[in-house]
Amino acid sequence: MPNDLRTRATAAPLPLATRLRLRAGTLVGDAAALASRIAGRGSGASIRGQLLTRVCPGAFAALVHGRRIASVTGTNGKTTTTHLLAAAVREGLGPDAARLVTNADGANLHYGIASALAKAPKADIAVLETDERVVASMLEHGRPEVLVMLNFSRDQLDRNHEIKFLGRAWRQALERAGADGPVVIANSDDPLITWATQTAREVIWVDTATTWTADATLCPACGDVLRRVDPGESATGCWDCPGCDLTEPTPDYVVQPRGVRLPDGRIVPLELNVPGAFNVANAAMALAAAVELGVGIEDALRGFSTVRSPAGRFSVAGFGATSARLVLSKNPAGWAESLPLLTTPTVVLAIDSVAADGKDVSWLWDVDFEQLRGKHVVCTGPRAYDLAVRLEYAEVGHEVVYDLDDALRAVKDAPQPVDLIATYTPFQKLLKKAGLR
Amino acid sequence: MSVKIVLVYQSLLGIYGDRGNSQVLAKRLEWRGVDAEVIAVEPGAPLPADGAIYLLGGGEDNAQTTAVRELRSDGALFSALDAGAVLFAVCAGYQICGHTFTIGENDEVREGLGLLDVETRRGAKRAVGEILTRWTKPDGTTSLITGFENHGGYTTLGPDAAPLAQVEVGIGNDGHGTEGAVQGHVIGTYPHGPVLARNPELADYLLALALGRRLDPLDRAAEQHAGLRRERIALVRR
Ligand SMILES: [Zn+2]
Repeated sequence: MPNDLRTRATAAPLPLATRLRLRAGTLVGDAAALASRIAGRGSGASIRGQLLTRVCPGAFAALVHGRRIASVTGTNGKTTTTHLLAAAVREGLGPDAARLVTNADGANLHYGIASALAKAPKADIAVLETDERVVASMLEHGRPEVLVMLNFSRDQLDRNHEIKFLGRAWRQALERAGADGPVVIANSDDPLITWATQTAREVIWVDTATTWTADATLCPACGDVLRRVDPGESATGCWDCPGCDLTEPTPDYVVQPRGVRLPDGRIVPLELNVPGAFNVANAAMALAAAVELGVGIEDALRGFSTVRSPAGRFSVAGFGATSARLVLSKNPAGWAESLPLLTTPTVVLAIDSVAADGKDVSWLWDVDFEQLRGKHVVCTGPRAYDLAVRLEYAEVGHEVVYDLDDALRAVKDAPQPVDLIATYTPFQKLLKKAGLR
Repeated sequence: MSVKIVLVYQSLLGIYGDRGNSQVLAKRLEWRGVDAEVIAVEPGAPLPADGAIYLLGGGEDNAQTTAVRELRSDGALFSALDAGAVLFAVCAGYQICGHTFTIGENDEVREGLGLLDVETRRGAKRAVGEILTRWTKPDGTTSLITGFENHGGYTTLGPDAAPLAQVEVGIGNDGHGTEGAVQGHVIGTYPHGPVLARNPELADYLLALALGRRLDPLDRAAEQHAGLRRERIALVRR
């Protein structure tokens, strides 16, 4: 039964000592953020959160306490889905939009969330992008009403062995939350998500018509090889484990070619201003979450159409004489989704491999770069040569321009804006260069 | 007749871009005017027995056990090796070629394929990072192998297996200086995923071994390989 959006969260007040500490931490954090902005080093959201958490170590727990929370997690699509859900809630709240707070900048660790919440002490509804590793403490301290679990794929190959560990942590956290646990909005196409949410109080299933299956070949419960069976009404077929009873759940919402099929059978079209099939999947998940929070379908859809470049993704930015459309891809699943979005004859691909990108770029060989044949690719970033080798074997025309600024200059005479895909670190650099963060 | 490169069970042993090795091998033949085809086989389907090179890649514990079971019941890999085919096995694929390896938190011992005289047990610390080794080819010349390793198991060699290379930077087999193993036409190594994309000489060596003849040098992709190797080798030696 969906909740009523009008219901205001009521929280027992925090102990005085915690409130004082929180206030002190907020003051220190705000001052540092201001200094960062004046120095031209970005918004300062990150430094605010870090100092706040240092002065008041319990800040995260105190700030999530007593709000109505929708938490959004998963490997890919967290930021966009958070923006879509927040836009839906904003639309639903109408004149009361100030009740909403969200971490729109994608800062999704404890201090990033604390930083966003500290700025909006009066907002009683929070839509929070939540890193996979923060989910357990979010469940413990924030008691979210809704938890959106998008997908769970290997993100950084050098940390691949952590996947199972995280899945287990989610199961345990949902089990501990028990009857106080959230309604989970879960992607039924993803076996790991299905397994991880088995302990949840209630799950609303969304068939997202996801086609990336390379991370989901073995049953997370028993280790057997999963089978794909009869497509039926699902675009991607259903998965099933021959070794145990784990199987694709019957969906409540289904992504279809003409829109999203609702639990009551109605099909509503999604008019999105973010590209790609994966954002349709994200929007379907956001729609199910919005309904649970008490947002009307019409309001949610209107809200979705206002989302254009969440945290800089898909934004068009100027760099000297070059203008570029910026696409972020963090892992093989992300690249599989974004390569088909490239429309320009010349494209720039920026690859780095510091910790935030994953130190191992073996994944380049799991991505179907062959589809770029006929385009000219400018390979840039510290792993430009790894990409160049990959493209040579894919028989895609390319050149290496190691430095990012040089690469942007090198495409100034190509048709504008030039499509550009970057891994996490170069993407953040580009946003900073363009003054978008 | 085209040369068959058999990519074995990517769904089980292919988590690190391992299919890259098959692409590198096939293109390096094609660019020399030799017909080549990559045959990807999944569990349940029969492996061809007339492949020239078989490839095993990286995977997780449960996948290793399943792969051993499937390969044993299929049998074609063994008969192909008897007929002179080459097996190139990487990371988890290397481990399952040995007599035994362990899986899970409790280090349960599992039987491998018995193709290499090696044993794998959980090591003191997980080996994750860039690795650089020096490979001495059968003709006595040496070449550097650059790659990325990510394995918890440490491998010790018995008398019938010879190390593939000597470690310059990284852990390799067990942190004691050797890397990989060679026994007849079976070659196992830890640098995982598309290791041949960083090491075209190793790719050409495998092709020559499978074809039983020398191959002409190749200009195509030489510049990209040189750039990548220069950059990676300099980084790891810094
Ligand atoms: Zn199962």
